[in-house]
Amino acid sequence: MVNQTAQSSMNWSRINRGLIYAVLLTAALFYLLPLVVMVLTSFKTMDDIRSGNLISWPTEFVFDAWSKAWSTACTGVRCEGVEGYFWNSVQIVVPAVLISTFLGALNGYVFTKWKFRGSELLFGLLLFGCFIPFQVVLLPMAQTLGLLGLANTTAGLVFVHIVYGMAFTTLFFRNFYINIPGELVKAAQLDGAGFFTIFWRILLPISGPIIVVTIIWQTTQIWNDFLFGVVYGSGDTQPITVALNNLVNTSTGVKEYNVHMAAAIIAGLPTLLVYVLAGKYFVRGLTAGSVKG
Amino acid sequence: MAALEIQNVRKTYGGKTEVLKGINISIEKGEFLILVGPSGCGKSTLMNSIAGLEEITDGAILIGGEDVSGRSPKDRDIAMVFQSYALYPSMNVRDNISFGLEMRKVPKDERTAEVERVAKMLQIEHLLDRKPSQLSGGQRQRVAMGRALARKPKIYLFDEPLSNLDAKLRVEMRTEIKKLHQNLGTTIVYVTHDQIEAMTLADRIAVMKDGIVQQFGTPQEIYDEPANIFVAGFMGSPAMNFIPVQIQNEGGGLVAKVTTRDGRTYSLPLGERGACLTNYVGKQVTLGLRPERVTQVNPHEVERADVMVLEAEIDMVEPTGPDTVMHIHLNGTEVSCRVAPDSAGKLGEKMNLMLDLSKAVFFDIESQARIG
Ligand SMILES: Nc1ncnc2c1ncn2[C@@H]1O[C@H](COP(=O)(O)OP(=O)(O)OP(=O)(O)O)[C@@H](O)[C@H]1O
Ligand SMILES: [Mg+2]
Repeated sequence: MVNQTAQSSMNWSRINRGLIYAVLLTAALFYLLPLVVMVLTSFKTMDDIRSGNLISWPTEFVFDAWSKAWSTACTGVRCEGVEGYFWNSVQIVVPAVLISTFLGALNGYVFTKWKFRGSELLFGLLLFGCFIPFQVVLLPMAQTLGLLGLANTTAGLVFVHIVYGMAFTTLFFRNFYINIPGELVKAAQLDGAGFFTIFWRILLPISGPIIVVTIIWQTTQIWNDFLFGVVYGSGDTQPITVALNNLVNTSTGVKEYNVHMAAAIIAGLPTLLVYVLAGKYFVRGLTAGSVKG
Repeated sequence: MAALEIQNVRKTYGGKTEVLKGINISIEKGEFLILVGPSGCGKSTLMNSIAGLEEITDGAILIGGEDVSGRSPKDRDIAMVFQSYALYPSMNVRDNISFGLEMRKVPKDERTAEVERVAKMLQIEHLLDRKPSQLSGGQRQRVAMGRALARKPKIYLFDEPLSNLDAKLRVEMRTEIKKLHQNLGTTIVYVTHDQIEAMTLADRIAVMKDGIVQQFGTPQEIYDEPANIFVAGFMGSPAMNFIPVQIQNEGGGLVAKVTTRDGRTYSLPLGERGACLTNYVGKQVTLGLRPERVTQVNPHEVERADVMVLEAEIDMVEPTGPDTVMHIHLNGTEVSCRVAPDSAGKLGEKMNLMLDLSKAVFFDIESQARIG
């Protein structure tokens, strides 16, 4: 009797498990399909594309589309591929991510461990920045960039992303640091450490999880940004998202789907890579709160 | 000159909750001050205020005669052990201990030597390379002690530094702290919930309640002459007995009337202790009598004028080892007695007990303050 119940409950759990896997697999396939189509198409020749259907296997794997997308495809009037724009994006993303993450950490530190009169209000106002639609700041920001002499420069774009990203990075770090006991800071103060020493030696070393989260978030946001790039960048400072758009819209007769797909994958690769490499830290970081001990 | 002087210190959080309501304490250099009081009475807040980690709302704090109220924590030359340990999570034990020295620019070899010395004293030598997360509660607490002891400040602040240790280690550490205090002669302020710690370590005890110092005095003063019922009940275990009694004048001396549960009434002779009660004749007061003053009958003591023997029924028996605690009823109140295990009676039996009133104290029923 007992054995039987155990048996049947085991059967049930097997069936459940099977069902769950089936659902998960279907969902994964569904979401992966566009990527598969993109990858397959990017390795086809134009003839192949015209004759076959969307998900057919390439008759022959060729890298022509990739090299064309990278170095000779036309984006508007110029025909130098997306390579230059790719590096533009890198030049924008790296400093913008690092600086906005650092400032966010510093802000979070101040908002939790060095509260001052009105700091809650200031934090509240800063949070507003998370909800302001991009479009609202376009004109005032253009004016500001003009005044600073940064219009149409990479530095200008970096500046925009730092300002816009700081609201998010501050929020992340503030929520992380609020769970870290204030007594750590007090103990360090008594030990004779100052404002920055405490930040460097006590708080930053335990901020790993939230730094990873912030960097992933910011990298994705800034790399994928199109609006700021198209408005504040011009010609040779434009990021890859804008170049991709130009490439697809440049009509010279035939639409070269294979080149478009290759360029799109190139544009998306860095964020994909960041997720693959650091994705598990992302989840871990989002759930990490207090540091005990 | 006082090493530490707390003058009328008030602390209000957020403009309304007053946590410290005018604290006045002054201790000499080298004195060991113990703060006791129920949870939430403001002990940690007072410690933080002394350290400069909390800004005080009113009053002044003087260290070595200098007003430090406006000074930053690091300029007050204080080392503190936090109730929550507050070890730096990213540093190993060694770095935790030497961080304060490093900040004060002590050369490397001196730091190493100091870490060795402290680790040896606290028996944590084998833990030096571990991170705080890899330590037990008691080990963390010792590291926290070590971090404070590595420095030689003007004042040590210890916020319940031994609360997480096992009984044996706690006694060892207590002795260690006492020795340390005797050797260094450093002024110490120490918070504890442990009565024995308070009595054995302190030169002075401040008993706090609701942000007010109820009494400030030597351990013996606090024990023998508590300022009010709260202090009397807080110090000592089992707690002092509080018996409502009527004071009467009988045969030229004052007596307190007590009735056992079976209706027999006795007149407790107050002797010397009654001198302060002349205004209370015919009135009710609260008689405070410590359990160790209600014992088995010791023949050589019964002759004394302030000793009285009475017979009472035993309501409860609790052996504690060195002696046995029994409960009886007098004037409708439970009274605990401390008797030698051999002479302890059984539950429900009647037994002769000796009440020694030489250390009896009396409290006003209204104000709860000690009379006299
Ligand atoms: N930041 C704060 N804001 C408001 N109230 C506070 C704050 N910190 C402490 N309190 C209150 O002040 C009172 C005293 O707290 P404190 O930590 O000094 O108590 P304590 O005597 O050390 O207690 P315990 O023995 O439990 O450690 C408590 O009622 C507490 O709720
Ligand atoms: Mg406390």
